[in-house]
Amino acid sequence: MTLLRLPSSTAPARPAARTRTRRGRADRRPRILIALTGLFFALLYLPIAVVALFSFNSKKSLTVFGGFSLRWYRAFVHDDVLISSLGTSLRISLVAMAGSVVLGVALALGLVRCRTRLGSLAGLIMLVPLVTPEIVTGVASMLLFKGLGVALSTGTVMLSEITFSISYVTVILRSRVAALNPEVEEAAMDLGATRWQAVRLVTLPALLPAVLASAVLIFALVFDDFVLAYFTTGVDPQPLSVRIYSAIRFGLQPTINAVGTLMLAGSICLIALALFIPRLFGRRGGLDILSGE
Amino acid sequence: MALLPRSSRTRRRGADGDRMWTWLMLPGTLWMTGFLIASLVLVAVLAVGTTDDLGNPRFGFDLAGVRALADPAYTEVLARSLGYALLTCVICLLIAYPVAYTIALHGGRYKHALIAAVVVPFFANYLVRMYGWSVVLSDDGPVLRALRAVGLADGGTKILNTGAGVVAGLVYGFVVFMIIPLYAALERLDVSLIEAGRDLYGGPVRTFFFVTLPATRQGAAAGLVLVFLPAMGDFVSAQLMGGPDQIMIGNLIQDKFFQGQNWPLGSALTMLLMLVLLVGMFGYLRRTRKDEAEARR
Repeated sequence: MTLLRLPSSTAPARPAARTRTRRGRADRRPRILIALTGLFFALLYLPIAVVALFSFNSKKSLTVFGGFSLRWYRAFVHDDVLISSLGTSLRISLVAMAGSVVLGVALALGLVRCRTRLGSLAGLIMLVPLVTPEIVTGVASMLLFKGLGVALSTGTVMLSEITFSISYVTVILRSRVAALNPEVEEAAMDLGATRWQAVRLVTLPALLPAVLASAVLIFALVFDDFVLAYFTTGVDPQPLSVRIYSAIRFGLQPTINAVGTLMLAGSICLIALALFIPRLFGRRGGLDILSGE
Repeated sequence: MALLPRSSRTRRRGADGDRMWTWLMLPGTLWMTGFLIASLVLVAVLAVGTTDDLGNPRFGFDLAGVRALADPAYTEVLARSLGYALLTCVICLLIAYPVAYTIALHGGRYKHALIAAVVVPFFANYLVRMYGWSVVLSDDGPVLRALRAVGLADGGTKILNTGAGVVAGLVYGFVVFMIIPLYAALERLDVSLIEAGRDLYGGPVRTFFFVTLPATRQGAAAGLVLVFLPAMGDFVSAQLMGGPDQIMIGNLIQDKFFQGQNWPLGSALTMLLMLVLLVGMFGYLRRTRKDEAEARR
């Protein structure tokens, strides 16, 4: 009884504490901090704004804006090499997305539920790509293909991108799987489902938002990836970011501004989508029943 | 089946389940072992290998590649890369702390939108961002023009093609890795602790150094590792923002594999890079273990 009354007896103290907090915050007025943060955001977006602005430049200059024109976008659309690279990049991203999502989701399920020693070993292996810089993984993949006598091509890029995307999918999915209540699977089995049916009909639907979000994220990451693609691609056709790299390195063409702007816009849309997907499902409700909360 | 006692039923299911979970885990783990672990081993093996006349890698035991690492030309590049990466870490911390602090403690209801605004450009194409940054920092770019206008720079001041340019590139590329863990740590921070500091007559500065900073030390440590790893292996920043005197170990590795065609030396350099990073990682892990042990006591 005393326990039950305790919250109500402390309740009157709460509003007082809250006003003190608010006053405490207000008289701090961190103008310097807010100015610094503003400057940070300005510098963060300035390079992106510059690329976007000059992609609409009617002049060839990268410093003087001569007026609005779509000339560099037209140049991009008529550039067969860049367009074929765009297709290559899209193909690589789609294959890597499909492969890594299938392998990564299965791995996440297994890692969370499996209590054997193999499980902890698999957990360690899964972490390796996350703590290895891309140049090392790039060099390693290239040497593996050369060592096996496999000619570098779009296919080798796909294989390496899958390898390094599995970890991302697994990391994203693992916390979602851990939040699921295993008793719901048990309940499904008490009702006569096999274990596999329980996973397929109960667990996987509950994970769908996270799976879709990670798929979109992987698509964007692979499409934008440069280092790994650079080390594992063949000569022709090359992924778009490898082409951009050569263009940036050997004399600039304003066309790259147009391609860059399109890529920036594309990935920003995809990331926004990935952030939005779980919310979409959450609003409809019903799917969060299984989460531990 | 329902008649079986619950304990034996769960036990049987447990063993059954472990088998199925193992089967689910297997494809991904085998894939990663085959493509990743095997290829990393291959790099180590090739570091002591040789090349034939056509430039194809040959396996053998030859320490030429490893011995070449002692060459002052390479140790200088390694030292420079370490210096740039560490400087990048420090600058990222100095930038990220106020930004994460402001968003976490003064962001109010815009907190989530603001942190999303930090993360989203990071997912945009790294090359395009770096290229835009190099335009911004160029001699006629907005940053130098603004600095000249307020008298902080003269006509001869340059950022591109200097070490400052390379570090600026690394900071721009990876500062988000510092902001995220710091933001998470600051968000978890109990504001009443700061108020307690105030109530005990600690000034804002003392409260910050004795309350806020120690409480977010783990976030800062995680951020330092997350920035150090990619900064140490980067070669794009040095290429776009630096000159021939600013190359980093990543540029050397790239050169040995593409232009130089000296794969054993390239592999040896890659192993050296991994070694430096592993030392950093172990230092971080030991530190966090110690912190955790102290927290438990």
